[in-house]
Amino acid sequence: MALYFGDLLPYSSLLLEGLWTALYITLVAMLAGSALGVLLYLGKVGARKPLSILCTCYIEAIRNTPLLVQLYLIYFGLPALGINLEPVLAALIGLTLNNAAYTAEIYRAGFESVPHGLREAGKALGMKPAQIVQYIVLLPATRNVFPALTNQLILLFLASSIGSIISLPELTNAIMSVSNTTYRTIEVLAVGGLLYLGVSALMSLASKRAETTLFRWAVGTHV
Amino acid sequence: MIFVENLNKKFGPNHVLKGIDCHIREREVVCVIGPSGSGKSTFLRCMNGLETISSGSIVINKHRLDDSKTNINLVRQEAGMVFQHFNLFPHLKVIDNVMLAPLKVAKTSKEEARAKAEMLLAKVGLAEKMDAFPGNLSGGQQQRVAIARALAMDPKIMLFDEPTSALDPEIVGEVLAVMKDLAQEGMTMVVVTHEMGFAREVADRVIFMDQGRIVEEGTPEEIFSTPQHGRTQGFLSKVL
Repeated sequence: MALYFGDLLPYSSLLLEGLWTALYITLVAMLAGSALGVLLYLGKVGARKPLSILCTCYIEAIRNTPLLVQLYLIYFGLPALGINLEPVLAALIGLTLNNAAYTAEIYRAGFESVPHGLREAGKALGMKPAQIVQYIVLLPATRNVFPALTNQLILLFLASSIGSIISLPELTNAIMSVSNTTYRTIEVLAVGGLLYLGVSALMSLASKRAETTLFRWAVGTHV
Repeated sequence: MIFVENLNKKFGPNHVLKGIDCHIREREVVCVIGPSGSGKSTFLRCMNGLETISSGSIVINKHRLDDSKTNINLVRQEAGMVFQHFNLFPHLKVIDNVMLAPLKVAKTSKEEARAKAEMLLAKVGLAEKMDAFPGNLSGGQQQRVAIARALAMDPKIMLFDEPTSALDPEIVGEVLAVMKDLAQEGMTMVVVTHEMGFAREVADRVIFMDQGRIVEEGTPEEIFSTPQHGRTQGFLSKVL
């Protein structure tokens, strides 16, 4: 069977709309999730034991169950409790809750890998703990966190394809419906795959660029 | 200036300092030598509260470190510290490393802090590196910045924790030279070091520690030429 991409042309806007939905869901879930992740991280490392245990349990539960199961639970499970969510909202909630757990761990690793000597130097200068965090630890920690966060953004973008299972009209969903109408399965998967690849590569490139401009000081340092 | 009495420090079951007694006078330069694991660094770190004291007492400039009501941050402003691994703030330019504590802790004005930082960096020979980031400096340069950073708080005492141990042999000298100048200006200094040449030349008094105790102390002449204790003799025969 010869490959023929011409049949896909009438559906290009459908694919692009799918891509847009995937991007939109990803960005919102990334922003909301990484903000929620801050709270989870603070709760986990905070002094209040019950809260710390609760946050740890949440993080581990999310990180040790499939995203697909989490989405099922929200989309098919919650209606049993009388909560019916639109696919977009269900996907947004699911990806946000999932992302929050991962980013919380990214923050923890990033802060822990700031050399202890920097905090000590701050202490030895008479700085208060809050000042040490604000002026000494925060930026090196951000530098540590940045590559992992952008990586997480790409993973989240790719994971948004799972939304197709709960009929979220994102890119993979669009690919499947174009495939079903045109029977050009390989062609549409190739095009869709390239769209994912292109966007991921752009994100990766942009993050490398941002890293070198934002953290110019880090050239030659190993923090 | 510094009074240490029956200082004990335990890390869990590990008894690291076993009853240290020591009195350091104003303008005195004291070098602490001894084998690794003898407790020298821990002793030094107790003096500005980086390690808590298990028992005994340390009084620095009338501040009692073992009193929980003592504001440790005031003590730390009076006792500057220089670390083995420099611990410069990598995200701040050299000048900002030096200005940070004066601005945020001493609350001096920006102009004043800057003038002071420029003066101190010139003093350690790094005026031209003001706008560089620490990652672009050599180890010796970083350590000199660290000295300037500690001096920016106008400390009355300077604590040095093996300041040249992480440096290449050929750049040790530039750091020692800065420390020597400081000693000659009359700064009270406690220096944990393996640089016997520096101890012999600059110290007013040398303390030899082993296994958590002060084994022997005296003038450099006494310690290096006529050590009394067997363990001191054994240690010196290996390092000299």
